[in-house]
Amino acid sequence: MSALSSHLLEEIKALPAKYPQPRSAVMPALDLAQEELGHLTPEAMSEVAVALQLDPGYVEGVATFYTLFHLEPVGKHRFYVCTNLSCMLRGAEDVVDRLKAAIGVREPGEVSKDGLFSYEEVECLGACEYAPVVRLDHRYEVDLTRGKIDSLVNDRRLVRSHVKTGVRSSLDTTPEPPRKKPVRRTKKSG
Amino acid sequence: MPDVKMVNVTIDGHVVTVPDGTLVVEAAKLVGIEIPVFCYHHKLDPVGACRMCLVEISPGPPVAQAGCIRPVADGMVVKTQSAMAVQARADILEFELVNHPLDCPVCDKGGECPLQDFTFRHGYPTSRIDGPRLHFQKPIPLSPNIALDRERCVLCYRCTRYYDEVAWEQELTVAERGVHSVIASQFDQPLTSNFSGNIIDLCPVGALTSRLWRFESRPWDLHHTPSVCSKCAVGCNVTLWQRRGQLVRVTSRENDDIDEGWICDRGRFDYTDVNDPARLRVPAVHGSKTTWAVALNTVADGIKGKGSKLGISLPQDLTNEEAFLFRRLLDGPLRGAKVKMHGRTALPAPSGEQLMIKDIDDARVIIIVASDTENDVPIVNLRVKKAVSKRGAKLIVIHPDAVDLDRHRETVHIRNQPGEAAAEVRKLADHELLHEPGGPVAILYGDGRGSEDAAGLVAACTELAAKVGAKLMPLYRGTNERGSLELGVAGWDSLDGVEALLSWGPPPTAGVPASVKFHAVWDHLPRPEHQNASVVLPATSFAERQGSYTNLEGRVQFLRPAVDAEAPLKESWDVLCELAAALGLPLDYVGIFPIQREAAKAFPALAALAQPPSPEPEPVPVLMGPARP
Ligand code: SF4
Ligand code: SF4
Ligand code: FES
Ligand code: FES
Repeated sequence: MSALSSHLLEEIKALPAKYPQPRSAVMPALDLAQEELGHLTPEAMSEVAVALQLDPGYVEGVATFYTLFHLEPVGKHRFYVCTNLSCMLRGAEDVVDRLKAAIGVREPGEVSKDGLFSYEEVECLGACEYAPVVRLDHRYEVDLTRGKIDSLVNDRRLVRSHVKTGVRSSLDTTPEPPRKKPVRRTKKSG
Repeated sequence: MPDVKMVNVTIDGHVVTVPDGTLVVEAAKLVGIEIPVFCYHHKLDPVGACRMCLVEISPGPPVAQAGCIRPVADGMVVKTQSAMAVQARADILEFELVNHPLDCPVCDKGGECPLQDFTFRHGYPTSRIDGPRLHFQKPIPLSPNIALDRERCVLCYRCTRYYDEVAWEQELTVAERGVHSVIASQFDQPLTSNFSGNIIDLCPVGALTSRLWRFESRPWDLHHTPSVCSKCAVGCNVTLWQRRGQLVRVTSRENDDIDEGWICDRGRFDYTDVNDPARLRVPAVHGSKTTWAVALNTVADGIKGKGSKLGISLPQDLTNEEAFLFRRLLDGPLRGAKVKMHGRTALPAPSGEQLMIKDIDDARVIIIVASDTENDVPIVNLRVKKAVSKRGAKLIVIHPDAVDLDRHRETVHIRNQPGEAAAEVRKLADHELLHEPGGPVAILYGDGRGSEDAAGLVAACTELAAKVGAKLMPLYRGTNERGSLELGVAGWDSLDGVEALLSWGPPPTAGVPASVKFHAVWDHLPRPEHQNASVVLPATSFAERQGSYTNLEGRVQFLRPAVDAEAPLKESWDVLCELAAALGLPLDYVGIFPIQREAAKAFPALAALAQPPSPEPEPVPVLMGPARP
């Protein structure tokens, strides 16, 4: 059994053709692998290496260099909380505390018991005018308040229980989110 | 040769004329000025990662600049001792030491450590750092042979660059980023490369150390002897380090004609047998210890007059001198004996002009036939890699299995059926790469570890060489296979059916034939095969031996004893002379030099033996003037 699905490996094998240096494909390839698995396991990195005809060690070196590649399991939903200057001045510490309480973890990188959430502290997200800001998966959530954080968390919990049981919680007043497959991000080259 | 433009540079007031493009650090060496470096290494591409080499360069911006990546230009003025340069280097050293554990008293590098030396010569005398330092597991075993002490690492990347550029492997990488960067093996698995040990020599600090030598001794307590590796036919130059009669480490000794300062792990780590307490030291007949005279007479009686009923298994690493004496025995009392040399290829003695190892550098197309170069001729393999990745040579490999040279994407790998290599070679004449090679073509051939018909393969390669104007290099495997071939002793006979057997060195690969009634052993280690031996003679190991080897390109090099062959061990030429006497052939040599002189006269290939060079003098260390701020 390979860690990565065969169609994904095919997709990865097609990547090097886009670059003058075939090994440049390692970043988008890791990105795809992470989309599929949530985090990068040694097996996944080795398979990426084989698919790109690189050494696993090289792939590992790249993966460990970038904080956005996760080597440990992460929550299904990841909060990237900006704790840089503007956000800090507008209460980023509060955001972190509230978020920790809401998802029930003690430190960055820890995964909530239900496996749904984890958070990380990051540098400026480039949206200072909306501080405090958090990136939740691939969306920016801006002008955060405690209430907003709670509902971001609860929404996703409820959706989850709804999906599981097929019954929507009576407390759930949020519109049902569209049930699309997650959009695959592919990094633009260059 | 295209004309290289020469330029004049002034370094600390000395004017030096060097080819355009020379790096400032290299130009400075020519006038005896050492610019300290960590990341720069003359065999690796410069990266400018550590900034240890900061000097003042004008014309240029008024900041200290890295001398290891700056090529000289005409009229350039370099100051290594200006206030700016001196302070810049001291500041860099202060940073280097922020997390350094300063455990020099227990560090194996202590005494030969550039970080230590540079701190003395260029650093601030006191430290201002009193904060907490990074700590790591200590030490991390990178492989059974290499230990990593991460906090000593100065992140010069010499080790990972070497792995990538020279060995074409990436099992050693930099993990994490910034201040958290560490050197790591891939997925923390042990290193497996046959070239891993070179990173120990390369590491400018004690971060990478040999586990075989760890905490054994301080470098200044060792005696060192320049010698030659005895593990394969490449003949890399090595330094043997001895302490109290023990061989404690083997390091590389740069010879640009052969090894360029690299050795393989077999050459570096495969030496502990020398110090084995179980080493054979006293001759024995039927299991009871005796004198050399008794033992040799017993051997002589057992093997005399046996003709083709006598089998002799030869070690791969016998010296030319031993081979010469042995030849005299074969021509005399042991005439007709069947001889089988260990570890040799089926290749015949070379004829005509051969390719030298250093010529591989300039080849435009390299063809490797029927040889697993990584394991059979490791350092030649590195030369090929250099020619391909640093000089753009094209590579064609003919081999049935995957080889490590396939790591280069442009390697043309023709997978032949075992035994069909010659046919593939013949087809090559029309290969597109050979139409307009644009320079020399090199053909390196082995014998496919016996799977190819050697004579046919040599013929095919010679034919191809004539067609495309290539030079040939036979890739012998046995350490002194070429010398033994030239002396006519490298036998290839089957030992089946012999009645008397002399196993010189390790036992015959095919085992001791059942027909053997008299078995004499001459070996340095006890082995199960010696059980029923009639006579066991103790042999010297490579570290105690003197003499010469002819490497695969025909170069005669001298082996020097690092450890004394203490009585009752006897030097092998001495044993051979006494055995000859016992067999009725008086060979009266008073030492090894008369043997060498006679061999030089008798065999033109051994002419170099007439005048063994004295061991090269120690390089004089270059020191900079007072440099501390
Ligand atoms: S381990 Fe040694 S060679 Fe490798 S980066 Fe660190 S200091 Fe340099
Ligand atoms: S390549 Fe051969 S001669 Fe060189 S170090 Fe290795 S075993 Fe010794
Ligand atoms: S500081 Fe938070 S987005 Fe810029
Ligand atoms: S030696 Fe010049 S930057 Fe490292």
